[in-house]
Amino acid sequence: MTSSLEVELGSLRLKNPILTASGTFGYGLEFTDWVELARLGGLCTKGLSLRPHAGNEPPRICETPAGMLNAIGLQNIGVEAFLSEKLPRLRSMGATVIANVWGDLEEDYVAIVKALEGAQGLAAVELNISCPNVEKGGMLFGNSPSATASLVSRVREATRFPLIVKLSPNAPDLVESARAARTAGADVLSLVNTFVGMAIDPETARPRLSFGTGGLSGPAIKPLAVRMVYQVARALPDTPLMGIGGISSLSDVLEFLAAGATAVQVGTANFVEPGVSQRLVEELEKYCLGRGVGAASLVGRAHRLGPAPAEAGAEG
Amino acid sequence: MLEVPGRVRPYLRRAFSVADASADTGQVELLVKTIGAGTAALEELIEGSEVRLLGPLGNGFGIDGLAGGARVAVVAGGIGAAPFPLLLRALEKRAIAADFFFGGRAESDLALLDRFEGHVSGEIFLSTDDGSAGERGRVTDLFRRRTQAGRYARLYSCGPMPMFAALAPIVAGLRLPSEFSTEAEMGCGFGACLGCVIPGMEKPFIISCTEGPVLAPEKIRWQ
Repeated sequence: MTSSLEVELGSLRLKNPILTASGTFGYGLEFTDWVELARLGGLCTKGLSLRPHAGNEPPRICETPAGMLNAIGLQNIGVEAFLSEKLPRLRSMGATVIANVWGDLEEDYVAIVKALEGAQGLAAVELNISCPNVEKGGMLFGNSPSATASLVSRVREATRFPLIVKLSPNAPDLVESARAARTAGADVLSLVNTFVGMAIDPETARPRLSFGTGGLSGPAIKPLAVRMVYQVARALPDTPLMGIGGISSLSDVLEFLAAGATAVQVGTANFVEPGVSQRLVEELEKYCLGRGVGAASLVGRAHRLGPAPAEAGAEG
Repeated sequence: MLEVPGRVRPYLRRAFSVADASADTGQVELLVKTIGAGTAALEELIEGSEVRLLGPLGNGFGIDGLAGGARVAVVAGGIGAAPFPLLLRALEKRAIAADFFFGGRAESDLALLDRFEGHVSGEIFLSTDDGSAGERGRVTDLFRRRTQAGRYARLYSCGPMPMFAALAPIVAGLRLPSEFSTEAEMGCGFGACLGCVIPGMEKPFIISCTEGPVLAPEKIRWQ
């Protein structure tokens, strides 16, 4: 048996299953003091829009038990500046780059992927249909399976890059959203984005974030995310998944792989320990070498052991 | 059942100004006031505890362009005095005199005064809102009363945002070049999370951790 770390998610082949999540890794270049970008399975950029976007007024973040709430509001430099200023440098460093994109309207998403089409140094496109911190677009696409299907099929026609769709845990029925995205042409599903949450200052009785609500991330959401990955993997066993949610240790990685994710994205932990992604690559490498197993063989182990006892009561 | 130490908060790192540092001893001094979960956890550390530090990050006060013999003002509010020991030492080395304006709500907010004993080359002016130490009132008003145009070559300040908002029009009126060390809740400290932005004049938001935290007041969009 091989102890290779390589994994395949449809047409997307990655050197290892450890990626970094959009919105937690800047454009990658912010992390070069701590991470050799080429060592990572991939990095997902800050959510890109057609034009530069200012984001929300502060305060934008607030710490919560075992995690944080954010309402950054997708501040980004725009797709044009990304292509001219960031991507060439990432490419020269040997990074595997996934462009995370978002828009207000279907047309915006189509225009962005067209702007990215053929870009040298890009490995895939990830559609953000699940950001809870903007007024329009974002999560509105992710919360309705029909809106998801319509958007994904239009974007599918507009790009030849492997297409990843990042799902919202706030959708009324995640499995239905996942099915809609897959049927409409998604190669890979990444799950999950942040959970809508809120924090209120007990003294002033005002929300701690200027946007009011925010997206909850960090270790606090890990069991929720593991359950969702497990559920979607069970319903759509042939769909490659990327697991996201509170990952900061090797055991977290193994847990998500066992639940059915072929790869994982490390998110909020990047803020606390900027070198965490590369550390996890090295720890997984050691783990696989020590056991003489390949990373791909670790995927879906929880399912091979049969359904969890509680699943008898859950819907298919 | 044995209760084991550990907690679900704090989760994020905390940002602090460097109060002083020595290349000779390798020591870094932080002045910390306990205000929440993070600082409370730090307060519980026993001597000899190991902690991990990411830094230095962001910019600092600038002293270039000041001629020897010049005079500057340092305006601090409460724990906002924390970054000034290093600055005062650097100014003294260049023979630049500094007056120190230090204010708080009450005398207990001026607890750091001891740390500055013998380290201020110019005069020390104190104020408290309740009059329990120094003059009664705001440190910004104290500064306005004690200065006039041309008295200082530069002003350095650190404190809460409302203090800066009061100070900004004063220094603008005096045409006094100023550096404010701003405060914002920070997620990462190195420009990745974009959580610590401050409303800007030339662009919508300034990223406090990488473009600051020391900013010229005219760059800030006051609200």
